[in-house]
Amino acid sequence: MSETAPSSQRLSPLVTVLLLIGAGIMLMPMLWTLLLSFKSNAALMADSGSAFMPPWTLENYAAIFQGSLTTRWLINSLIVSTGSTIGVLVLSSLAGYGFARLDFPFRRTLFVIVLLGLAVPEQAVILPRHQLFAMLGLHNSYPGLILPSLTGAFGVFFMTQYFRAIPPELDEAALLDGASRLTLFWKVLLPLTWPAQATLGVFTFLGSWNDYWWPLISATTSDYFTLTVGLASAQMNYAQTSGLGFLMAQAVFASIPILVVYIAFQKQIVRAMAGTAVR
Amino acid sequence: MRRVFALGLAALLAGCAPADDRPEIVVQRFFGECGAVYGASTDVANADTECGILTTLINRFEAENPDIRVKVNVVAWPGYPQLAAQMAAGDPPDLVTMHQSVISDYSSRGLIEPVEGLLAQAKIDPAGFTPAARAGVEKQGKLYGMPWDTIGRLFHINTELMAEAGLMRGGKPVLPNSPEELLAQARQFKAKTGKPYLIQAQVSAPDFMVAFLYTYLLAQGSPIYPDDRHIKLDTPEARAIVTLMRQLNTEGLTTRDQDFPAATAAFTQGKGGIFPVGTWMLGPYDAEAAREGSPIKGHYAVAPFPRLWGTAAPFVDGHAWVVPAATRSPQERAAMARFLAFLSRYNYDWSRTGQLPAFAAVLDRSEFKALPHREDIAALSRTGKQLPGYVERQSAVQGLIGEELEAAITGTKPVETALKDAERRVNRLYAQMM
Repeated sequence: MSETAPSSQRLSPLVTVLLLIGAGIMLMPMLWTLLLSFKSNAALMADSGSAFMPPWTLENYAAIFQGSLTTRWLINSLIVSTGSTIGVLVLSSLAGYGFARLDFPFRRTLFVIVLLGLAVPEQAVILPRHQLFAMLGLHNSYPGLILPSLTGAFGVFFMTQYFRAIPPELDEAALLDGASRLTLFWKVLLPLTWPAQATLGVFTFLGSWNDYWWPLISATTSDYFTLTVGLASAQMNYAQTSGLGFLMAQAVFASIPILVVYIAFQKQIVRAMAGTAVR
Repeated sequence: MRRVFALGLAALLAGCAPADDRPEIVVQRFFGECGAVYGASTDVANADTECGILTTLINRFEAENPDIRVKVNVVAWPGYPQLAAQMAAGDPPDLVTMHQSVISDYSSRGLIEPVEGLLAQAKIDPAGFTPAARAGVEKQGKLYGMPWDTIGRLFHINTELMAEAGLMRGGKPVLPNSPEELLAQARQFKAKTGKPYLIQAQVSAPDFMVAFLYTYLLAQGSPIYPDDRHIKLDTPEARAIVTLMRQLNTEGLTTRDQDFPAATAAFTQGKGGIFPVGTWMLGPYDAEAAREGSPIKGHYAVAPFPRLWGTAAPFVDGHAWVVPAATRSPQERAAMARFLAFLSRYNYDWSRTGQLPAFAAVLDRSEFKALPHREDIAALSRTGKQLPGYVERQSAVQGLIGEELEAAITGTKPVETALKDAERRVNRLYAQMM
């Protein structure tokens, strides 16, 4: 690969300027949020424009960390997001392999049923799911927060498509060498799906971290709040007027792990987005 | 292996710990979390803000009642989705903060209990509630909660600008007594100061406009809700009110296109004369009026909504402590009664937030009268009007009415059409209700 990009891929100055303007517009709300988070609530109530002028303060961030349960909510979010991600990766990989490679009765029908799951919004099933979890005593527990995300159809569909794209000759070669189905899956095919696993893992983690609706109604005691629900509960009434700085600090704080994940897995996310666009 | 052994030992030791047989009450509230400042505070007199005072009160109750275990759930405002989920799961909390206008949504379905027995156990006489507070918790002849305050709408007034406009007399703001006077004063204000007479939140703030409409419909004796499944908004009374609101907007006598935070800031920056908003802003604005360098420093007054039509009947709401229906032991009920009795003794401290007390005796206390502006607004506790006890779904209904009012006031729809549409949409919502 040459060190300089081909001339056809170089951006013209006009395009560069337009992209910079676009990026600036997209960055503006984030910078605005960041600046507001460093101002005292009282100063912002008098004039939110004061965010551009000193003095700035860390008192809003200090208030978050001094909050009695913030650390617990952070740990809860990490447990739930990590648990969901691992669960989705394991189940989706196994199911994807099964649908792509194994021949079993009603395979097509089952796959269509899985695909239909993509068309059913969460809100449509939330009541029966809530009742089911109540019957099973799963509310206010980590399994109660993690299990619903494991039933998502997208992961299965995504991994099935990925496994289908791997040449079947690999299977034949491995089976000829005496590999079992499990060895074939574990040692030959699964390593090849790493880019897909990374993409699915990142999206699952982000989705789980940002989820608000299910944790809001399943975790009803403060001990099991995730960060999104916990921070919302910490807001005083009319926080947007009398507690704007604290509100913005909460927003920044809650998005830090997401930013870390984005930065760490930037390549996979961009690749996934590009792949989606091409399809 | 060592780890497994350690875990097993820990579990065994935990099992040997003495059982906590104290009755537990689960208290669920909104108002935010402020453990950073008030996590260990029991000094109620020095606590400040809704969150601070309530957190301190609960801390103090726990300190004074070590034989009761209190579990506190702080929920995201307003907490009703979580409460509904808890009820659906059969695991509701014991005492919950609830807006009085929402109580009927739960009482009509038997989801919360009448509390006369609990109040008697707590030795709280309902006759001691203010008329506005009692009306807020009384549904179909039963009391469905212990009222905690009354929330009213006030005219928050910039007296410096009012003086500049020639609308101060004897150190008090001159307020209108009719729609015509309101328009005349608003025009005079704008001519003299160059600023709008009113500051209003017209964007994404349906309750703001609905409170104005309800107040003056109630003042004219207009039956807004003739029964529990119908609203009546296509009336001459409603048309007169909304036409006035539209005229204020058309003539530039009010700020435009502001949401609630923008309107709140506009008042503190002295960008208009009067901000008609709730009692909850009394404390913050009073503090702002005492701050050096503030545009409203020393120039702040409040008054109930003026009587423009009929009688003084400002629309009010309030907070209450309600009891979700559940099976509870006598010990748990006794603990809940003690909690309510404790709270009732501190209703004055809660009134320092700016909300009006729910107990009439507090209104007569010298400390209450000494609080800034309270004598100007105490009448709301008596004259404030709640909607009839059978009216449900106010949260959704006010959203629908607010959308139509916004369209009418900003000129997107004719007033008559907007009111007809509001009536039709609300009635359709009621028709779909089970």
